[in-house]
Amino acid sequence: MLYVVLFFLLFSLLLYVLLGGADFGAGIVELFSSRENKKVNRDTIYRVMGPIWEANHIWLIILIVILWIAFPVYFNIIIIYLHIPLTLVLLGITMRGVSFVFRHYDAFQDRSQLVYNGLFRFSSFVTPIFLGMCFAALVGGQLIVTEDYTNYGFYDLFMAPWFNGFSILMGLFYASLCAFLASTLLIGESEGDIRTMYIRKSKIATGILVVLGFVLIAYGFFNDIAFIRDFVTNPVSIICIILSGILLVPLWKFIRAGRRILSRYFAGMQVVLVLFAALIAHFPYVIITSDKEISLLEKISPDSVIMVLGISLIIGGGIILPGLFHLMKSFKMIKIFEKDEQQFQK
Amino acid sequence: MENLDYARLQMAFTLGFHIIFACIGMVMPFFMVVSHHKWLKTRNPVYLKLTKAWLKGVAIFFVTGAVSGTALSFELGMLWPEFMKHAGPIIGMPFSLEGAAFFVEAIALGFYLYGWNKLPEKFHWFTGVIIGISGVLSGILVVAANGWMNAPSGFEYINGEFTNVDPVQAFLNPAWFSQALHMTLAAFVATSFGVAGIHAFQILRGKAVEVHKSAFKIAISFGAIAALLQPISGDISAKDVAERQPAKLAAMEAHFETEKGAPLFIGGVVDEENKEVNYKIEIPNALSFLAFGDFDAEVKGLNEFPEDEIPPVAIVHYAFQVMVGIGTLLALAGILFFISLKKKSWMNSKKYWWFFMLLAPLGFLALEAGWVVTEVGRQPWIIYQIMRTSDAVTPMPGMKFSFFMYVAVYILLAITVTWLMQRQIKALNTQKD
Repeated sequence: MLYVVLFFLLFSLLLYVLLGGADFGAGIVELFSSRENKKVNRDTIYRVMGPIWEANHIWLIILIVILWIAFPVYFNIIIIYLHIPLTLVLLGITMRGVSFVFRHYDAFQDRSQLVYNGLFRFSSFVTPIFLGMCFAALVGGQLIVTEDYTNYGFYDLFMAPWFNGFSILMGLFYASLCAFLASTLLIGESEGDIRTMYIRKSKIATGILVVLGFVLIAYGFFNDIAFIRDFVTNPVSIICIILSGILLVPLWKFIRAGRRILSRYFAGMQVVLVLFAALIAHFPYVIITSDKEISLLEKISPDSVIMVLGISLIIGGGIILPGLFHLMKSFKMIKIFEKDEQQFQK
Repeated sequence: MENLDYARLQMAFTLGFHIIFACIGMVMPFFMVVSHHKWLKTRNPVYLKLTKAWLKGVAIFFVTGAVSGTALSFELGMLWPEFMKHAGPIIGMPFSLEGAAFFVEAIALGFYLYGWNKLPEKFHWFTGVIIGISGVLSGILVVAANGWMNAPSGFEYINGEFTNVDPVQAFLNPAWFSQALHMTLAAFVATSFGVAGIHAFQILRGKAVEVHKSAFKIAISFGAIAALLQPISGDISAKDVAERQPAKLAAMEAHFETEKGAPLFIGGVVDEENKEVNYKIEIPNALSFLAFGDFDAEVKGLNEFPEDEIPPVAIVHYAFQVMVGIGTLLALAGILFFISLKKKSWMNSKKYWWFFMLLAPLGFLALEAGWVVTEVGRQPWIIYQIMRTSDAVTPMPGMKFSFFMYVAVYILLAITVTWLMQRQIKALNTQKD
């Protein structure tokens, strides 16, 4: 049953990074658009992402609930030492969620839209940055996990691990990944000039993503951050990263050929590879503190708890996944048959 | 004030905020589907207009409830890491099921919001029903976790260690049923009277009276039934508390001395220092009867408990009085509504609408008061008789700032949502048929 729980943990992490990321990215693309394109983008993402936008963010709740039930050691570290950046993430999620619904469900469309739009774009941009910073803090090797809080200063315990050059780079890296996902997704949902606009955005995002990826690795390497050092010396990670670079070529071919579903799978594949590369180098030791590596499987909950959680997840997943799939299909987020795709091209 | 006090205030404030939005998000879908059903049956455009107006309300409240709920799921750990470290695995089951129910709700909402003229009519309506059912289910499941804090079960506590954990038994803890029933009914009462009161106000103003009268009737029907059932559920809850948490019961009643044939105090000013209640109305033997079904039963007073295990008496007593008082008033209002269905002339009287308009905020007040009773009444424990709240709090200093930030953000949100609702009503009033 532990494997079922681990599967759902990684699965919800992946889906949150992917789907939540595409949501954030849509706001980022909008932030960095001309005034005219901002409006176009606003209407497009309402049409495309509207039906599932709230569902996307529930993966985060599932993730945190699995962590607290099955992996109390990890949960405790995350929740105590990342208190500040997590608060900022929550603030961002709150603002982004409400401004999205306010701007589309307000009874009148007037000047208040300016506020909603501004809030939506800004929070879409900063939230993934803080999320990336949280991740960087866990693997960055600056965490001080202790029982004796009085021995350390506030800054060393609660600020330094997440507020540094490495984590800021990681935050920007994730934000550009989000923008890449969103613009690639939206290419398939638009036509004519708008389509050209999203293709341009997608190219820019890809460029930034690749550059930031290199800067991140270089920065980590020269500052001797264990996570990066092990990452670049782990053959599997390296192969994944090279593969993701090679796969950019077919991805662009599919985009140009208008194969919107295949291009989406390939964009998703990029994320899978990057995430896999990041986790595999150390798994199950994900958290790296200043003096040790902590295993995800350390002091996990008793078997009875894992058992019940696994069963709940299987039942819940059995209800949710078909529903979600049907929702996406109904609103043409994904298409199962190539036939549909041909119709679209026509 | 210390870190602990700010952490408690923040928890109280954010939960107090979430509870309102979550309850509205839970109950309003039911109004919406009833109105939708009437539209499908009668094809009277009034119902379509109303359904669409309520739908926007549901969307706004669902999202506000959802994001504040997301924040809460983190906050539990961020404020009370020691609690979550031990309790998290034990009470995780209802939370994971709640996650699933909530997910179903979000999916159904996606279908419902975007399904107009795209999905088959009946299926579309049915997705609305799913929103309501899964919303109520989420509420019931979350209350299971709170029930466990009041009635810890499903583990053995040996030398400060939680062993032999049985999550299913923890999930089915003895306080769950009575609390979930009481909470669900309360959500219906509060939301129904709130929504009905707003529509009563519009009727008074003479704006789009036909729509608002239909809206009023749908909303108040739910509320009236729930308000009449609530005293029964309250009785079940009281007996449960009397049995398992005598200190809470004693605080609710500001009952300082143990006695047989204990009287029930109504109102009164609590003097915690001299341990007495002044200016109260006393009903002899009533407390013994209500708590144990026996006029001569012994009710434990606060004097039986050590000083450091007594909850703040005055707050709990006042909150309890407010809850019961409002509950009684709303049950009477429910009866009044049912009579007015026979005596139609009442509905032409301005007094009738004034009455229901004034009731609008009371249900929510009772909701918050009831929550104060159960949460403050459990203090100083976070897990009843196992872990103290002060031992669970985060080691991070500076909770003061976190508290004030949440207050500022949530007040801003509350103001914005109220303003948005006002605009929805304005739009409903000015819309042409």
